[in-house]
Amino acid sequence: MEFKDYYKILGVEDDAELKGIKKAYRRLALKFHPDMNPDEGAEEKFKQVAEAYEVLKDDTKRAEYDEMKRYGSRSTKNFEAPPGWQPSGDFGTANSGPSVDYSDFFNSFFASGKEGFRQSGQKETDLFKGQDLEMEVPVFLEESVSGVTKNLEYMVPVFDGRQTQQIKKSLIVKIPQGISDGERIRVKGQGSPGQKAANGKNTLNGDLFLHIRLVPHPLFDVQGINLLLTIPLTPWEAALGTKLEVPTLEGKINLNIPPNSCSGKKLRINGKGLKSKTAQGDLLAILKIDIPPSTTSETKRLWEQLGNVEQYNPRVDWSN
Amino acid sequence: MTNITLRIHLDELCLSADISQEAIIEVVEYGIVTPLEGDTLSEWVFDLESAHWIKKAIKLNQQLQIDWLATAMVIELMRKQQQLEKENNLLKVRLSRLL
Repeated sequence: MEFKDYYKILGVEDDAELKGIKKAYRRLALKFHPDMNPDEGAEEKFKQVAEAYEVLKDDTKRAEYDEMKRYGSRSTKNFEAPPGWQPSGDFGTANSGPSVDYSDFFNSFFASGKEGFRQSGQKETDLFKGQDLEMEVPVFLEESVSGVTKNLEYMVPVFDGRQTQQIKKSLIVKIPQGISDGERIRVKGQGSPGQKAANGKNTLNGDLFLHIRLVPHPLFDVQGINLLLTIPLTPWEAALGTKLEVPTLEGKINLNIPPNSCSGKKLRINGKGLKSKTAQGDLLAILKIDIPPSTTSETKRLWEQLGNVEQYNPRVDWSN
Repeated sequence: MTNITLRIHLDELCLSADISQEAIIEVVEYGIVTPLEGDTLSEWVFDLESAHWIKKAIKLNQQLQIDWLATAMVIELMRKQQQLEKENNLLKVRLSRLL
């Protein structure tokens, strides 16, 4: 496995004091934290920085790392610890927060118990729960209304004690009716497998969290539990009123457009929106007046005739 | 077919996300999330959106080494940003349909 030069990653000298290491970590964490920096590669850089700090902030781990750096194989691509080297093994049990995915180098030499979380009364042999995973699941609007069964495929990182491998996994999940954009679903035990505990038993698997993303619909927009539908009209349909067949998620319905309808006017169709656990949304039809793209001499004459008869000035406010 | 859930109990969240009860209490006390139900600590249940923000808050608190007050402010701003991005995207789509 590849040797990690933690001092170089943090940009500090090998004999740097803890204060300097902390300062370097804070500066780089703010610069590369994935919540602060959306650039490609920032997350990977942050992981390296966090890993380096995890080792160098701890006197015991740092001393062991220094020993390894000094006496280990000098080949960076295929690093081997000094002959007979053993970690002290008491790393990470005080961990009280979500872990970061560290490198195989870290996992091999410094991670014993890293993923463990000890609750009061829990035995050490029950530690090493698998990692939770998160994935985005695109769902069509129609599927969210009726509920849908999805066949998901995703990669699961599995640590075999020496290195992490990505294993492809597939899963059938029922997405419940009424799910909305941004909602999350937990699939228990379908994350990374738990590692073997000291007593040889496999421990709990991590969970899989599905983040629902509604796929944009060609006709409807979603606003809370209401649906928005834009209805294009000709100028004469808007002026004279008309009866139209309009789409809803449950099929077509007839809609009366009242005479003298303006562009942007909203017509509410009760009960044709989305359903939540407690309420039923509406369909809001928004009118948009389209002018015919080409004008013949006959239509031009008719528009001019209309302009002469109708003395309406939509910019009357401008003269005040 | 697998079993799914839309909520998570405090104990499960601690175990699932590798975080301590004490950290979750801080997140609740600073108003970052509110339990969906449960009058006492042992009864706390969260929806998964809250669980997501709990994990995010604890990560930021530890990884950026900021205090809980600053964490609460960052999370509030991140939520507002997400909400505004969502609204902005919807308005862009609405505008394109009307033009």
